[in-house]
Amino acid sequence: MNSARHLLSVLIWLPAIAGILALFLPRQAPKLLRGYAVGAGLIIFAESLQLLVGATNPAEASTFRLVENVEWIPSLGIRYHLGVDGISLWLIILTTFLTPITMYASFGSIRNRQKEFIAAMLILESAMIGAFVSLDLFLFYVFWELMLVPMFLIIGVFGGQNRVYAAVKFFLYTFAGSVFMLIAILYMVAKYKGLTGHYSFDYVDLMRMGFPVGTERLLFAAFALAFAIKVPMWPVHTWLPDAHTEAPTGGSMILAAIMLKLGTYGFLRFGMGLFPLAAHWIGPTIALLACLGIILGALAAWRQYDFKKLIAYSSVSHLGFVMLGLASRTEAGVSGSILQMVNHGISTGALFLLVGVIYDRRHTRDVAEFGGLAKVMPVYAAMFVVVTMSSVGLPGTNGFIGEFLVITGSFASDLLNWSHHCSGAGVDRQCVNSQIGPLFALLAVSGVVLGAVYMLDVVQKVFFGPNSNPRNAHLEDLNTRERRAVIPLIAMIFALGLFPTTFRERIDPSVRSFLTVYNAKREALGSRRAETAPYLLDEATVQPPAGEGAAAEGHPTAMRGSSNHSHRASNLVALGD
Amino acid sequence: MNLVLLLSPILIPVVGALVLMLLDAFQKEEGGLAMPTALIHFTAAAMALALWKHGLPADVSALHGYLTIDKVSLFLDATIALGGAIASLLAGGYLAEHKLDRGEYYPLITFSTAGAMMLVSASDVLMLFLGLETMSLGVYAMTGFRRGSPRSAEAAMKYFLLGSFAAALLLFGSALLYVLTGHTDYAGIASALHDAAAQTAADATAAAQQTTRARVGIFAMLLVLVSMAFKVGAVPFHMWTPDAYEGAPTSSMAYMSVVVKAAAFGAFARIMLAIFGDANSAGAAAGWPAALAWIAVATMTVGNLIALAQTSVKRMLAYSSIAHAGYLLLGLVAAPREEGGTTAYAAMLFYLLSYTVSNLGAVGALILAGRRGAESVSHDDLAGYARRHPAAGFALTLFLLSLTGIPPTVGFFSKFYVVRSALDAGFTTLAIIAMINSAISAYYYLGVLVKMYMRDPAPGAPLASPMRSGYVTAALIVSAFFVVWMGVMPERWLDLAREAVSPAAANAAAPTADNAGGSAPAAQH
Repeated sequence: MNSARHLLSVLIWLPAIAGILALFLPRQAPKLLRGYAVGAGLIIFAESLQLLVGATNPAEASTFRLVENVEWIPSLGIRYHLGVDGISLWLIILTTFLTPITMYASFGSIRNRQKEFIAAMLILESAMIGAFVSLDLFLFYVFWELMLVPMFLIIGVFGGQNRVYAAVKFFLYTFAGSVFMLIAILYMVAKYKGLTGHYSFDYVDLMRMGFPVGTERLLFAAFALAFAIKVPMWPVHTWLPDAHTEAPTGGSMILAAIMLKLGTYGFLRFGMGLFPLAAHWIGPTIALLACLGIILGALAAWRQYDFKKLIAYSSVSHLGFVMLGLASRTEAGVSGSILQMVNHGISTGALFLLVGVIYDRRHTRDVAEFGGLAKVMPVYAAMFVVVTMSSVGLPGTNGFIGEFLVITGSFASDLLNWSHHCSGAGVDRQCVNSQIGPLFALLAVSGVVLGAVYMLDVVQKVFFGPNSNPRNAHLEDLNTRERRAVIPLIAMIFALGLFPTTFRERIDPSVRSFLTVYNAKREALGSRRAETAPYLLDEATVQPPAGEGAAAEGHPTAMRGSSNHSHRASNLVALGD
Repeated sequence: MNLVLLLSPILIPVVGALVLMLLDAFQKEEGGLAMPTALIHFTAAAMALALWKHGLPADVSALHGYLTIDKVSLFLDATIALGGAIASLLAGGYLAEHKLDRGEYYPLITFSTAGAMMLVSASDVLMLFLGLETMSLGVYAMTGFRRGSPRSAEAAMKYFLLGSFAAALLLFGSALLYVLTGHTDYAGIASALHDAAAQTAADATAAAQQTTRARVGIFAMLLVLVSMAFKVGAVPFHMWTPDAYEGAPTSSMAYMSVVVKAAAFGAFARIMLAIFGDANSAGAAAGWPAALAWIAVATMTVGNLIALAQTSVKRMLAYSSIAHAGYLLLGLVAAPREEGGTTAYAAMLFYLLSYTVSNLGAVGALILAGRRGAESVSHDDLAGYARRHPAAGFALTLFLLSLTGIPPTVGFFSKFYVVRSALDAGFTTLAIIAMINSAISAYYYLGVLVKMYMRDPAPGAPLASPMRSGYVTAALIVSAFFVVWMGVMPERWLDLAREAVSPAAANAAAPTADNAGGSAPAAQH
């Protein structure tokens, strides 16, 4: 355990250092640069696999592991507090897994300024991992903002025709969204100081805060806005198609596969974790927006002639599933969401990579330009079809298991059925006598169907039928570099699809523990609705009964005990209400 | 000896400027004074820190209440001297490159620094005026230093006229305060106002008299407020700023935008908090934070919105400096409201230090981008600059990110701290407005990055290439060092700022009302 104590710090800072060092490598030696980039990426990936070995074995995955908690700016209560649990574990590994693949795949299309590209990618990796493991809100915000600059440069410098517009739009949307989050964080900290006499930005400390109902909703709204823009949820998704279309292949891959997940991750960890009452109140609305995103995103994707725009809109649709799962508040739904985040990362990453391949050959992304590619590029076509199947959620691939869990979760969710809501009092009262029943599940299922429609439609157009366009007659099939980049992704598609339990057994305990705390805190807040000033909850409220593994780290405040008593077998049973 | 030691941060630039004039008279060729000037400034900064470290003498009666040498003034002295040092290094590169290298620039900058230090230590309205004029006269001359250019002359003229106007307002306000209280020192004025407000009127005539006096007090406060708002470039008294900044030689602009701002804010905070800070002593005039809050909102909003429309980077930086004055005012607005009144003041001091290194770096990187006859001032000049010259482009990027407030630079942290102190003091709306403004400002700082990294220069347009100057490079390295160091490890610097304003430190050195009221005014009566 000792050797791995600083593993999270290593994972954050190793990419940043590697990125800065890359700037000092000679520009004249592209081979060295590429080798360096992929090597660094793989070493970081190998490091991140250590997360699976000792630190987060399934039984202990419900608590924060590998906690590092030291003072950074003590007088302001800002700490360097890191930790990983089952919610963030796979997202970190997804990040380290995709970064080397992305860099490797990009060397075909990015031939100028490779050095700067590598540096930006590695620094971006560092910021993303940092955001996933930060348990101090200030630290989280720092990493959250830090992500913007490298991505801005990747889109703006290496992107397509209209790259500057897209880069600026991306930056301003996200920056404007997050300033409100900062205000909300500062407001919470100011009130925390008022109650306890000392400052703290610590997630675990701020978990204890309770606010009057109206204030809590405002604070939640400030967080939710920042995250909703990042996700992006309908209707604040308009930056995404621009950013994706103009970004280089590598930029699109990272943006879709990982950066969007920070929105959903933040929504779960901070939005729902800190403000359960408000999150619960707005839950059905979020679910409705998510369903709108699923359906409208799918419809928009269907109408696209630009390959990348199509995938961008399909991301809006897929992220709708993730948000729906989160809004269900059931273990199945939330676990499914987390799994779906990873799935979407892999399948959309692969889709962008594959679209990049034909863009490199033809320099167009117009779907109408292609047809009958299966004959000239058989390997490419086969891989594309596999990834498509994953994207539409065919059983056996990773897409199926995530969507299935989300839909099950929303079907079983009491919150989304509104059946128990009549007991609510005061402002929370939303009494609906007739059960709306599986409305959201139905909407989501229709989204699955639409997803199949637009993806299969485009596959049919591009790969089958006559190859009438003479410029497509002699396209080169995947070369070695491209195959090497795609194969790990395909392998992951099946690994996740066929052995989901391996992944879920590390996710579920954390989700269970998260929902236990969520519900406990929500009830505690609900019972004190009449409060007109901020107040502190008992520490015990936000800490479920500690399991066996909980005291091992010696950071009692950093722990959220595991709840081993709940049944693994009842995975699909709603714990939400 | 004690006195000399105490005044040494101010005396070093004064003596240094005289030496520089001698050096200039005796040297055969122009140029070469930048390094001695920077050394004088660095020495002054080191002296201020040494005094800080060593502890101030408890007995400062020798100053007779004219000057207050406390940790606030030492902090600002060090900030000013650091800013002056970096600015003189920039001048060493800029003036030589653009054939302006006449020796008198360096004594001017050094005298101005001495004036700025007097200004932040002044605790007497006479001293305030003297410091203001000493600083400003040098800066007026530096603004018009490019003698052949009508823009430069126009800038100097405008700055001079409006600066004199502000000085006149200050004098008028001081005169009214003297009439009201019979004192010119802050402590004396404050205690006299306090006594006057505490008296209960005996009859109707006395009551009417008291009302009149209160009104005169408000008027005096307004005059002082407006004159200081002129100096810090707050809206609606900012009109001189963009023209003066744009017309001035860029190295003078660098100096003006940081040193003059730091000095003016230091003096502003000291006079407002010392005389009108306490609701009891200043009566109705203590309502100034509310007025200043509106000024702060107007300053950041107007500054940012106009900056959006600029096509010249130099002018954009001028408007951005107005916007930053708005953020700084946030600290001053919050200072009297807050419990203990220290966090917001400390936030303002920290912001001044942060803005000094960030803005000097940004202006310095802009200087670096220009060669003789081809100064880079507009966005178009910089098109593709960072692609052709990655290191020089990165320097400008770093400082612009700091001005935007992106971590891990110090600009992020100082903005965070000032907004937080406003929230702590209960100014939630003000804090939200500041953050919205911060988002707006991202657009125009980003515009420069877009030009540098993502645009190609128009065909046939001259390509900006960095000048070769050890001075400018050194200045940028020093600034970048502070921007990153203070951004990643802010704790030690925050401690300094907080220690500066902590009541214990102030009590150690500030003259008490008794000794100031007893000695200085007695001599004047």
